[in-house]
Amino acid sequence: MDLNKLRETAAGIVSRDDVKYLIGWRRGTFGYRAAPYFVEDAAGVEELIFSPLCISNLAAYLTLVEKLPVPRGQEPDQRKVALLVKGCDSRAVNQLLVEKGIKRDQLVVVGLPCPGMVDWKLLAEKYPETEAPVEISWKGDDFLLLYNGQEIVVPRAEALAEKCRLCRHPNPLISDVTVGEPVQPWAPAEDSGVAEVEAKSTPERWAYWEEQFSKCIRCYSCRNACPLCYCEDCILDRLDPTWVNRAVNFSENTAFHLARAFHLAGRCIECGECERVCPAGIPLGKLNRKLAHTVREEYGFEPGLDPEAEPFQASYKPEDPEEFIL
Amino acid sequence: MSEQFEPNIVAFLCNWCSYAGADLAGTSRVQYPANIKIIRVMCSGRVNPLFVVNALQQGADGVLISGCHPGDCHYMEGNFYARRRLKLLKELLEFIGVDPRRFNMSWVSASEGHKWKEVVEKAVEDARAAGPFDQFRRRQIGW
Amino acid sequence: MSAMLLHKDKWSEFTGRLSGKNLWAPSLQGGIKKFAPVGEGDAVQLDAENTAVPPKALLFPQTETLFRFSEGQEDLEFPGLDEPVILLGVRPCDARAMAIVEKLFRWDYEDPYYLKRRELTTLIGLACNEPGLNCFCPSVGGGPASTEGLDILMVDLGESYLLEGLTGKGKALLEECKDLLEEAGADALQQKEQLVQEAASKIRRSVDPEGIPEALPGLWEDPLWQRVSAACLGCGICTYLCPTCYCFDIQDELEGAVGRRCRMWDSCMFEEYTKHTSGHNPRPTRRERTRNRINHKYSYFVDKFGVIACVGCGRCSNLCPVNIDLIDILRQVKAAP
Repeated sequence: MDLNKLRETAAGIVSRDDVKYLIGWRRGTFGYRAAPYFVEDAAGVEELIFSPLCISNLAAYLTLVEKLPVPRGQEPDQRKVALLVKGCDSRAVNQLLVEKGIKRDQLVVVGLPCPGMVDWKLLAEKYPETEAPVEISWKGDDFLLLYNGQEIVVPRAEALAEKCRLCRHPNPLISDVTVGEPVQPWAPAEDSGVAEVEAKSTPERWAYWEEQFSKCIRCYSCRNACPLCYCEDCILDRLDPTWVNRAVNFSENTAFHLARAFHLAGRCIECGECERVCPAGIPLGKLNRKLAHTVREEYGFEPGLDPEAEPFQASYKPEDPEEFIL
Repeated sequence: MSEQFEPNIVAFLCNWCSYAGADLAGTSRVQYPANIKIIRVMCSGRVNPLFVVNALQQGADGVLISGCHPGDCHYMEGNFYARRRLKLLKELLEFIGVDPRRFNMSWVSASEGHKWKEVVEKAVEDARAAGPFDQFRRRQIGW
Repeated sequence: MSAMLLHKDKWSEFTGRLSGKNLWAPSLQGGIKKFAPVGEGDAVQLDAENTAVPPKALLFPQTETLFRFSEGQEDLEFPGLDEPVILLGVRPCDARAMAIVEKLFRWDYEDPYYLKRRELTTLIGLACNEPGLNCFCPSVGGGPASTEGLDILMVDLGESYLLEGLTGKGKALLEECKDLLEEAGADALQQKEQLVQEAASKIRRSVDPEGIPEALPGLWEDPLWQRVSAACLGCGICTYLCPTCYCFDIQDELEGAVGRRCRMWDSCMFEEYTKHTSGHNPRPTRRERTRNRINHKYSYFVDKFGVIACVGCGRCSNLCPVNIDLIDILRQVKAAP
């Protein structure tokens, strides 16, 4: 990845009068962290990075920004937001456009072909986090760590994030400008996570999810990190009617996770953010991917590929499967 | 003599077909199991999947959703949306370990009183075979 | 009886004896480390890493029933809080946090639930020999072997544990287990001092809070808040898992003719935390919410109770999915004009 090229492009974009800021990543404050970074002027681009640690999906910030009432006599800020996207992130942008959650003319999309990200927790098993930020880059197919002053090559298979092993679209599907050469898509791995659960018997599956959902502390980081969970009035916050009680127990947690997964059915673009941010380590991605498989295999639909597509749950085909109906 | 388990089943029926079908079954004196608690909705497309989740949380052992046959929807296409949506819900419930026999969906028209009887019998038989569903119940009233 | 030694040969017998007394200890529950009840015969393993969920969850449960009610009945039903609890392996920071939070629950209204639980709980602390990556307890007045809030402090000396009874409750418990313990000699105490010093020297991160409480009010409109909160997702990780965060919401839950009133953790990082019925929100964006989180810990609480409501456990920095780092924020506060 040519960082200079990226910074140059970014500087050009943030210098434009019609751009408010650019959302990218910068080095984290310690260990293997990379932080989302809002660049407001050309000087700020020096801190921009794109490395195998930039796993977070920045498209979430497009809808996280609070819409405040504009004071009387002032004009609303109509400037565009620029966003760095990997392949998976670009699908979130597409899906947001499908749902009219954002407007295309208020966006500048900078596409970054993505060779795959690391799951830092896998790295930390062998190379524990250090106080100083660890530099990581791509080296051929593998990852190159600059760890305590030492250069270490970590084989791709050892550290590649799960979502990247399953990735089908490493190149951005929507962008105004692309930095870097397109990468050759790799054969997506079998989704062993979902298959493992499917192979269990019904009571075993229940036991598995009972253990998982019982751990939930309802911090809602999965909801907030998701680029496609952006309802202004979320049913989880509703008191009247109370769809899901706020009490934290297995029953309510399960209802919450069913609601969350269901609301993403046919919309989830499999960026894996929900699972990554979960402090309790609940494999939320499996729920989403299970539904994504069904949508892909039985309805031949994959969300986020086409900004003009019809939203899956708000459309139908007369020949949709109905073998389950009596 | 062992007592047979009598499941509690919540049924969401669309106003225009299935509810009328159940009504016809009643007026035609067609006998069907009394395990069904019917909730009338305007359209099967109105059934929010959370209705199903909520019913299970509140002690239902099974859920049945019934609407007009495809093409017959009073609102033209509500049941088509319901079909997509509830298929996904069915898959999701199955994936987290809810016995698939607890969830049934049917198309019953206003003239199908006899079909309604068969559907209910099937739903009750299924839920009975699956047994009481206690694991998901709200326990909020405990300490 | 002051300092005693428990040889590790007798560890399982020790924990076995306590397990009959409603013992809770850190345990890995499906991938998340938190305090869990120890059954008879369960092994208790204390290792270096602190629990992700702080033991505050035992004194201040995430969902706590205050009382139950039912239709047609005038009397409310209250929980019978009378079972003593022993928490084993509490980190000094988390115990200090309990002492700090207690100030709030003892303030203008004495909260019977929290105080009762506090009274029923015996805290057996474990000094940290291996501090975590983001630990900075000495910066905020604690330390790897701080005793504040604890009843017994335990130090891992390798072959054995050194146990010091700090309160009446703690001493009585040690007295009960006297047959498993032996008097600690001067060499053990010396070894403890050395280990504690070593641990303190291994703490990698620090920030000097001097001047922060005074500076914060003047930084109300500083651009730093926009900067540090821009990446915030608005989730509850930093507050729910903070040992000194105590905000709660109270709700009634009904089921037919019976119901309960319960309080549950709430988070100032949530949008609806300050949202009025009218729709107006005095903390409308993540900027104000982040500012409040830092101000609460490093300014308001200091004004009211004379102590910083942060114990330097590092959880918020460790667990934030977008690398919002408390130490980094504090450094920016110090650097602000």
